[in-house]
Amino acid sequence: MRLLIVEDDPVIADQIGRGLGALGHEVRLAGTGAEAILMLRQGDLDAVVLDRMLPDLNGLSVIDQIRRDGQATPILMLSALGSVKDRIEGLASGADDYLAKPFDMDELAARIAAIARRGVAPVEGVRLEVGRLQLDPSGHQARFRGRAVTLNRRQYSLLAHLMRHADRLVTRSMLLEGVWGYAFAPTANIVESNLSRLRTALIGIACDPIETQRGAGYILRSDRCA
Amino acid sequence: MRLTMRRALGRGAGRGLGRLPIQVGLTFTVMMALVGLIGFSFADTWVARRVDHSLRNHAAKYLALGKGRPVTDAVVAARILDWQQRKILSQRTYVLFGADGRRIAGRLDIVPPPLGYSNVRFHAGGRATQQGRALATRLPSGSLLVIVQHSEAGEALHALLPWVVLALSLAAAVMGVAVTLVFARLIAIRLAAAQETADAIAGGDLSRRVPTRGLDGLFADQAESLNRMLDRMDDLVRTQRLFASNLAHDLRTPLTRLRGILRNGADDPAILERAERECAAIIRIFDALLRLAEIESGRHPAAPAPLHLGALIEDVAETMEPVLADHGGALATGPVAPLMVSGDADLLGQMLVNLLDNVVTHTPPGTSARLSLVREGGVARITLSDNGPGLAEVDRARVLHAFERAALPAARGSGLGLAIAQAIVRFHGGTLALDDARPGLAVQIRLPLSPPGAAADCAAD
Repeated sequence: MRLLIVEDDPVIADQIGRGLGALGHEVRLAGTGAEAILMLRQGDLDAVVLDRMLPDLNGLSVIDQIRRDGQATPILMLSALGSVKDRIEGLASGADDYLAKPFDMDELAARIAAIARRGVAPVEGVRLEVGRLQLDPSGHQARFRGRAVTLNRRQYSLLAHLMRHADRLVTRSMLLEGVWGYAFAPTANIVESNLSRLRTALIGIACDPIETQRGAGYILRSDRCA
Repeated sequence: MRLTMRRALGRGAGRGLGRLPIQVGLTFTVMMALVGLIGFSFADTWVARRVDHSLRNHAAKYLALGKGRPVTDAVVAARILDWQQRKILSQRTYVLFGADGRRIAGRLDIVPPPLGYSNVRFHAGGRATQQGRALATRLPSGSLLVIVQHSEAGEALHALLPWVVLALSLAAAVMGVAVTLVFARLIAIRLAAAQETADAIAGGDLSRRVPTRGLDGLFADQAESLNRMLDRMDDLVRTQRLFASNLAHDLRTPLTRLRGILRNGADDPAILERAERECAAIIRIFDALLRLAEIESGRHPAAPAPLHLGALIEDVAETMEPVLADHGGALATGPVAPLMVSGDADLLGQMLVNLLDNVVTHTPPGTSARLSLVREGGVARITLSDNGPGLAEVDRARVLHAFERAALPAARGSGLGLAIAQAIVRFHGGTLALDDARPGLAVQIRLPLSPPGAAADCAAD
């Protein structure tokens, strides 16, 4: 992917650039908001990582200008302001995701991947299908090769989230935000415990597509649903 | 300290009493002048009445000289003569005028006044003109009997008037100023202690209190309420200091560990992973702190709305049940009453997750918990009880403060979970209490129920 990193702190910019470069992305850097707007107008970008505090422009007004230009490039906003209010503000201004500093490189990469390939917004209540694994919203049931298991609401939402992001890393905090809507980090293993329940339920219908990426998150492998 | 005090005294003296003594003095002056005038006019009227009364009495005596028959001019003239010989120095003088206006008897050289009372001027013994009150009475013979009373008292009173008023006013002005100064001094003595204490506190000595000895009434009340305020402030500052030192301690521990890990060399991926874990712990503390500050300062974008508390509890229980199961225990719910509160679902959800988090973090494996919701008058009571070892009574009071943990060696977590839960409860106007569940700990949360109207609105949705 071609990514634009807008960050005025050279150490952090270098860190992000190297981290994402190592994952095979083509990374360009911009140190100011004006520079970022210029590079965005040239187009040809898959996603933008935008720092909220820039020397010239506020990150929020950069988004504002880009969106007014008609640019739909996905934007992930980075900020040292981590309160719920700041987050809501960032998302309301048109950012596709919001990540508070300090962050984990895997987390950033996973979130960029998620927003860059989002495409059409997933519609709730529509039957999801990955390979032969089907998720039926009416009965909260997962089906695989003619066998079915009823999931509780959490397990259902978890599986739906993973299926929508099939073959991509979904981090724990992405699941906490996306499935539970929690903006805080509980100390207990909420994601792990619920996911292990889900996995047990799926194993019951001879399907085990969820892979744990130690310390990072989970991937639902579509080839394991064949 | 000394400097502060001197500055304070200087400030007090410089400002002084301002225009107050002059204002009070003037007020006294005007008031006393009024009192003088009113008093004088009363005295004047009283003296005039006494004079008129005495004149009438004496006129009646002369008229009665006829002893039943009409009195004659000769009898009256003889009586006047007799009076003159006996009373040389008298305030009263008698004159008898004939019907033709000629003076028959009496030495006073005046023209006949009209009938009844009148004020007359006359010369007596070569002295200056004198004033007197006259009563002219017609005798049966047609002659005119005039009795003149020279009212020295009244005249003296009139002469005194301006001086009396002036003296009174001056005395009042002096007294007003003096009283004001004395009064102000007395108040200043009572307030000086409070002011000195306030300056000492401003100088950093929060242990000082306003002395209440020797104060009474309003001043004692004021000193006591000032002291109560100071106690509260002292308490707050101490809590704040404790919070800061606890925070410093809780951040130093993972940072120290982190430095140790990094010094051991960063080549080993296992060491890097440990370092990352320590970083995560530090970040977690900062996140929790931020969250706590956000809730306590009311900056959380909460929109209190009618909320089905029962459904929220079931929802959180569904999420947390696998977590407790992985911990070797179980999470049961019930009874869960269908109660409505006005609140923020995100915050109350976090509160419940934090409390269940605590059960998992601070109890030995295998501990089970139960969540229930019952109605208790006008409040909804959530109870989370566990069958763990519970907390000693001293610890129960302590752990509600930020960073305070029970004296358990293995305790981990940000140390802010309960403080955040309490902040959320307080934000919703409720209370959080820790009780003994025998065995284990029971967390009791009481939240005000939303008014029936709001509940009906929500039920209709």
